[in-house]
Amino acid sequence: MSAMQRPVTVLIAALGGEGGGVLTNWIINAAADLGFPAQSTSIPGVAQRTGATTYYIEIFPKTWRELGDARPVLALTPGIGDIDVMVASEFLEAGRAIASGFVTPDRTLLIASTSRFYSMNEKMAMGDGRYDQTRLLDAAESNSQGRILFDMESAGKTAGAMINAVMLGAIAGCGKLPIPVEAFEAAIRKDGKAVEPNLRGFRAGLDAARETSAARGVGPDGKRHLAPEPQSDPLEGEIRAQAPQPAQDVMIEGVRRLTRFQNADYARLYLNRLAPVHTADQRAASGGKLLREVARHLAVRMSFEDLIRVAQAKIDPARMTRITAELNAKPDEPVHVVEFLKPGIEELCQILPPSLARWILRVSARRGWLDRVHVGMEVKSTSISGYLRFWLLAKLKPWRPRSFRYHEEQAAIESWLTLILEAAPHSPTLAIEIAECARLIKGYGSTHKRGTSNFQMIEARVIRAAINGRLPVDQAIDAIASARTAALVDPEGEGLTRCLDDLDRHMSFRVAAE
Amino acid sequence: MERSFKKEVQALTLGDGETFRGEGILAVTKALLQSGVSYVGGYQGAPVSHLLDVMVEAEDLLADLGVHVETCTNEASAAAMLGASINYPLRGAVTWKSIVGTNVAADALSNLASPGVVGGALIVLGEDYGEGASVIQERSYAYAMKSSMWLLDPRPDLPTIVRCVEKGFELSEASHAPVMLELRIRACHVTGEFEAKNNRRGAYSGLNRLEGPPRFDYGRLAHPPVTFIHERLKVEDRMPAARRFTREHKLNEIVPGDVDDIGIVVMGGLTNSVLRALARLDLADMFGKTRIPILVLNVVYPLVPEEVREFCAGKRAVLVVEEGHPEYIEEAINSDLRRADIQTRVIGKDVLPKAGEYTSDVLLKGLSAFLSQTRPARLDVEAIADRAGKMLAHLPAAQASVGTLPPRPPTFCTGCPERPVFAAIKLMQRDLGPTHISADIGCHAFATLAPFSLGNSILGYGMSLASAAAVGPNMSRRPIAVMGDGGFWHNGLITGVASNLFNKGDGVLIVMQNGYTSATGLQFMPSSKASRSGPAPGMDIESTLRSFGVTWMRKVRTYSVARMVKTLKAAMQDPARGLKVIVADGECQLARQRRVRADDARKLAGGQRVVRTKYGVDDEICTGDHSCIRLSGCPSLTVKPNPDPLRSDPVASVIESCVGCGLCGEVAHAAVLCPSFYRAELIRNATAWDLWLHRLRSGVIGWFSGRKQEAAA
Repeated sequence: MSAMQRPVTVLIAALGGEGGGVLTNWIINAAADLGFPAQSTSIPGVAQRTGATTYYIEIFPKTWRELGDARPVLALTPGIGDIDVMVASEFLEAGRAIASGFVTPDRTLLIASTSRFYSMNEKMAMGDGRYDQTRLLDAAESNSQGRILFDMESAGKTAGAMINAVMLGAIAGCGKLPIPVEAFEAAIRKDGKAVEPNLRGFRAGLDAARETSAARGVGPDGKRHLAPEPQSDPLEGEIRAQAPQPAQDVMIEGVRRLTRFQNADYARLYLNRLAPVHTADQRAASGGKLLREVARHLAVRMSFEDLIRVAQAKIDPARMTRITAELNAKPDEPVHVVEFLKPGIEELCQILPPSLARWILRVSARRGWLDRVHVGMEVKSTSISGYLRFWLLAKLKPWRPRSFRYHEEQAAIESWLTLILEAAPHSPTLAIEIAECARLIKGYGSTHKRGTSNFQMIEARVIRAAINGRLPVDQAIDAIASARTAALVDPEGEGLTRCLDDLDRHMSFRVAAE
Repeated sequence: MERSFKKEVQALTLGDGETFRGEGILAVTKALLQSGVSYVGGYQGAPVSHLLDVMVEAEDLLADLGVHVETCTNEASAAAMLGASINYPLRGAVTWKSIVGTNVAADALSNLASPGVVGGALIVLGEDYGEGASVIQERSYAYAMKSSMWLLDPRPDLPTIVRCVEKGFELSEASHAPVMLELRIRACHVTGEFEAKNNRRGAYSGLNRLEGPPRFDYGRLAHPPVTFIHERLKVEDRMPAARRFTREHKLNEIVPGDVDDIGIVVMGGLTNSVLRALARLDLADMFGKTRIPILVLNVVYPLVPEEVREFCAGKRAVLVVEEGHPEYIEEAINSDLRRADIQTRVIGKDVLPKAGEYTSDVLLKGLSAFLSQTRPARLDVEAIADRAGKMLAHLPAAQASVGTLPPRPPTFCTGCPERPVFAAIKLMQRDLGPTHISADIGCHAFATLAPFSLGNSILGYGMSLASAAAVGPNMSRRPIAVMGDGGFWHNGLITGVASNLFNKGDGVLIVMQNGYTSATGLQFMPSSKASRSGPAPGMDIESTLRSFGVTWMRKVRTYSVARMVKTLKAAMQDPARGLKVIVADGECQLARQRRVRADDARKLAGGQRVVRTKYGVDDEICTGDHSCIRLSGCPSLTVKPNPDPLRSDPVASVIESCVGCGLCGEVAHAAVLCPSFYRAELIRNATAWDLWLHRLRSGVIGWFSGRKQEAAA
């Protein structure tokens, strides 16, 4: 029973709501209209609610007429190592298909969108929980016989079509099915729903499949770089003349950012703070790496998110341009923007003089007001009165250096820099790890408080021990990195506590052993 | 309903010789009409929802045939409908998701199976088993055995499925027993074609009514003393009749093969999978011709001993391919062969897994192990084992190349009204501490997954309140029971609420009032705002609860997170004992969007003013902590690369699919998160007033922002 004719097997991985069922029907209808025995199965159930699901299709490449009385027995479940065309609407799902064994180098053409629709676990991570795209690309290359990889989501958007139409186009163009392009188009027309957009999407997919697309092409980095400020020019010149090459772009970005945030003097303070780090970098022969990392975090820390900065951002004309573009608003279509704000006593105190702020905070803490008193506001920033509220707040910029938040931030920054400079002689890597801990301090309100206290815990229990020499440098580097990761595992702080306790046990064990 | 079945309804009208093309479950629907049913009922649930959905849409056709259709409030009421076939020559069919639906229906089924039927009674079971299943993994087989109902498991191709439906009615009538027909998920959704027949009117129906009841016959009652006679009738009369019918009508199939010292006995539903595995091992072709003989059991209960003995006689060993636990068929064949003193070895769960779905790789391994153990003379067993091994050899390396991928289970839809309730529970627990949450069946069970991870038990549809009955008295904090309106009417009202009130219970009950049984495809239920015939059925959850004696009741719009948190706290902290009910009110967004989108499109085309609302996150202000995502879990609230050249952590972002429900803004407020959320409203077909105001505002704001830039310069 060898050398037998086998069906063409197609497995489609998609997310609920992407129209995988419709796509499957198009293919089945195209095959059936040509007289090929074809069968599809799916497991919709509740997976339709944005969960991962699959559709499986078998097409027998001989028509009923050619077969006569013979009736092929088609399978309902995909076979591991038995898939001719694997289609995925999303790249992680392509990865899932590979891990399930449905993509093999001897047989499988992998047609996948390189776009990502992040899963909940990736999104809810407190830092960066996204799955490594490069690893997925490598896996796609090493496991498949051929590949058609491109961003189907944006192809669909450009064509004004759903992703399933783009997928159909790519399937039609891959040449593995016994169905000509016209038959697929006919299936879309016969279906009669959203025919024009679907045909546009279909053609976009078809074209992409026929080109040899480069999934690894280097696109723009998507970063929004600041334009130079006239006041920051001399500082930028200084950086270009003195700073090591690897740190230059970051420092220039920092200077521009802080000039906008406050003024040229503040940007000068930034460079002054970096000067000893530069020296330490040179002494430790770090090649500018330490300087670059500290410069990056320092610029972020110095441009802390107080009310004034938020107000600045809210009325930035570039922001309104972005929002209207996102909505595809035409010039004669008004766009209203309503901001959600809920300032409390702490937010108000940010912009008061330190002594007054401290007094208010003390009293409020005693009376238990801090977590209870918040003013929920929905402010229409596109109305005149709403706009003016932000405008006035932004106008407080010159007052900022006298504000409570400013004082608090500068003190915290100085103490963090001191730690870095004390650690640098031990090891530049240790210093970079400490600098990197600035990532923990972010957000607003309780999030900011939690981040700050996590940082302080790591400082007290790991960083100090490393600087005092109680913890060997290599171990300290590992310990800081793992404590930082642990702090970003859960908002309740259980991960960090466990991690630090483990470390303590380890240290006391070492002391005992000595 | 979630989708329209206009085309499918057309297919139901096909007549003799025409070709039906479509899904398995719709083929069953067509087969019911071809069999002359007088009534159809059921309770929706994947994978058999479409059967009822199509029937509901095919009202005109059914009226023409005189078929009565009920969308029952639960499976027990559907099963009880079959009572019409006990006394009368009425053919009827009911359907539901098994195992859970069969559990609910069990009482009625026992009492139906005892007196037996005169009209054919068919139960179409959607076996929610294996990949894609949403319920506990058990077999319906036990119900067939204990109640003496017959169980069909047809080969998953449309002609066989249709034949089994038609023959199922005949079998039921010939043996006076109800017949169950089980279809796995993939078989319900498999597409294919078969040659249709004309639809038939039932002998008696709405068009030709029965004149009255038959002469009184105590034997038709499930009541002692006749129940003792029924018990005997089942084994002495009905089962032999069923076996005779099965054999005479060749419901089971024998596929011959040349390697006939061994054989395979397979449940009909797994036939295609076994044939494909054999084909991959070069032991069968693509047209079902096999080298190893196969006995295909389209009737899995009862087995026909003569058939099994004839098949096994002369074989050294047979492999029983029986999915699920326990291995009833394997044990039955084993004991029957011993009884007949046939020395064929029965191999089954020793080479195949005891539990879990029999997927293609499982069968490849199992078949290859079976051959290695039995070593048939005409086969190169080593070569076959080698072949099977090679097919799966790439798996470890493939898995390693990808690593551990984050899971992607289903979740609440974008804009779902139920999600905000769980955000509120999370916030309430932050202040009052965690409490026991009994979850239920329905979309709200997605709250047990990330990012909410809320729920300590799920005990069945509508059972949440009842399952907390003994928790509350033993715990310092009030437990919370979550129930959908679907679950409320299915079971929860009596099992949960009435029992709680009757026992003067305590606790908090949240009823999600979204207006549909959404998880099964947006069917109407008693408190829906409309019904399949148009007007609302008129049953109301609040007035029902009040009439039951619930005194503490609050209705809260689900999207008002802050109010929901306050209400939850009040319910948790109220010093008075007693049931506290929160009706969480918000229409299913899937249903709402379908309506709103169509409305908006019509208005846009007609030049009327339309406001499109979308939420957004200021990526400059967002610091990438993702608290908002952990509290909302909305599919349209995601992350994107940080546009800030100095930061690496991704920032939150609202994508195009946002429907503007407002949860993210509410959560940002209620949890005091951050100031980066905004609501953008785009006005299409703006009025003159809109445009005037817009020009005025842009002018003034432009002037200020210009001045501001000058000042900065």
